Amino acid sequence: MTERVNRMAQNIIAKRQIKANALQFKKSVVIMWAMVKKNIKNQYRRSVLGILWTVLNPLLTMLVMAFVFANIFGRGNINMDYPVYILSGTIVFGLMRTATVTALPCMVNNHDLLTKTRVPYFVFPASNVVSSLVNFGFSLIALIAVMLIRLPHGVEFHWTLVMILAWLPAIFLFSLGLSLVLCSVYVRFRDIKHLYNVFLTLWYYITPVFYSITQLEDPTVQKVLVINPMLHYLEYFRSLILGVVPSWQTHVLIYAIGIVTMLLGWLVFKTQRKSFIIYI
Amino acid sequence: MEERVLPEEIESLSFQEDKDLLVDVHDVSIKFRMPTEKIDNLKEFAIKFLKRQIKYDDFWAVKNVSLQVRRGESLALIGRNGAGKSTLLRMIAGILEPNEGYIETKGNMVPLLKLGAGFDMNATGRENVFLNGAMLGFSRKEMTEKYDSIVEFSELQKFMNVPLKNYSQGMLSRLGFSIAVDVHPDILLVDEILGVGDIPFQKKCSNKIHELKDEGATFIVVSHSMSAIKDLCNKAIWLKEGSVVMNGTTDDVVAAYLKECNTL
Repeated sequence: MTERVNRMAQNIIAKRQIKANALQFKKSVVIMWAMVKKNIKNQYRRSVLGILWTVLNPLLTMLVMAFVFANIFGRGNINMDYPVYILSGTIVFGLMRTATVTALPCMVNNHDLLTKTRVPYFVFPASNVVSSLVNFGFSLIALIAVMLIRLPHGVEFHWTLVMILAWLPAIFLFSLGLSLVLCSVYVRFRDIKHLYNVFLTLWYYITPVFYSITQLEDPTVQKVLVINPMLHYLEYFRSLILGVVPSWQTHVLIYAIGIVTMLLGWLVFKTQRKSFIIYI
Repeated sequence: MEERVLPEEIESLSFQEDKDLLVDVHDVSIKFRMPTEKIDNLKEFAIKFLKRQIKYDDFWAVKNVSLQVRRGESLALIGRNGAGKSTLLRMIAGILEPNEGYIETKGNMVPLLKLGAGFDMNATGRENVFLNGAMLGFSRKEMTEKYDSIVEFSELQKFMNVPLKNYSQGMLSRLGFSIAVDVHPDILLVDEILGVGDIPFQKKCSNKIHELKDEGATFIVVSHSMSAIKDLCNKAIWLKEGSVVMNGTTDDVVAAYLKECNTL
């Protein structure tokens, strides 16, 4: 009898725990959504065009790069409409860059919330990555606009564009994992901010945003550049624009990268969790 | 056989646990590791780490503290600056984790350690009401219901569409307080924010807090205002250098504490 009662007591405690966790989860979602909205609004507060800038920004960057690379350096052997090629590169790389750059100082910036309220820590990096995902949604509008404009130049719309939805979770996991590592390290070592900015510049140039990897003549360089995860995310994305369904190996690859990065990030974040409150 | 919970067994279970025991702090200690010098860049850390020159001092901010708070009771934590009052409060709130001992809490708890924590200075007052509400776990729909009464209490109707950076300090605390007291929790943890703003508003705050208390809310308060404590709490704990010096009724503990303060 007592054993049975004990077991039931454990049962009830477990149920209460699940209920508490569900409540906590609901709270996290509410907070995250509020923070995402705040991030998006603050980005272009007090600017005349407001939220329109999320669409205009990638467009203008694309125009500059298309001008520089098509007219000054020459565009090489890219088998895709060049403005669409550049814009797709810019917004995909931009998704990862915005996510990680904004998430990097998030623990320190939210000092007040961390030390004075009971907001789950995970919400801070996650809300920044979700914000950048929302921004990416706006950038897609820019991409579609440019594709429409380039219709007379041979651009076609393919049904494969819908598969962006299959691609998005993978790059989300990758960006979130990276953000978790960066924001955890930043709490202890503020140097990482400067290092990461330099690294991003390098990363941007070794990712074929405005050139094609086949343009590089040295095969060893090509082989080395293949280890860049962003290359695979970008190639997947571009093949969707061209109407090609990527092979199942590519799917496995991008999800494997995403999941491994996420697990690594979660591990670092979890082990550093306790030190946050002391070092921020 | 399928496991089924019989009604009489549930009753015997509830017998075992004390439902009115809202906060049970059991022999809790927390230490902070203080590096003897601050290292916050990688190069320095790497060099010192390799040379094994990183030294830490252990500082026990709270040491072997136990306390219990039941439904309807209100507890005050008093003591001098640095006695560990706020650290203890933050452990009860679940923000800090104790190194030793454990804390069990029941019921819905709202920590009010800082008014308007997480206010976004660029956003308007209205936007911040919803943002701050979200931080306390209320959805937009729930906050829409509360919105009017919050604004009315804060008396800031005219300023709700002004960005917070243009608010005065008093206005900020008034808005923060109004949002905070509009939730109806079982336990409220309060750190030195019993009254804010000008004198009429302070009176309003005090009335509101008594109203909450009459509704059955339990308070755990850190304050240096002895009159406020006597007014609100029936129990008090005097902390000194992280340990409990005295635990008893508010009148006794406050009297003893004041006596010691006068001899200093």
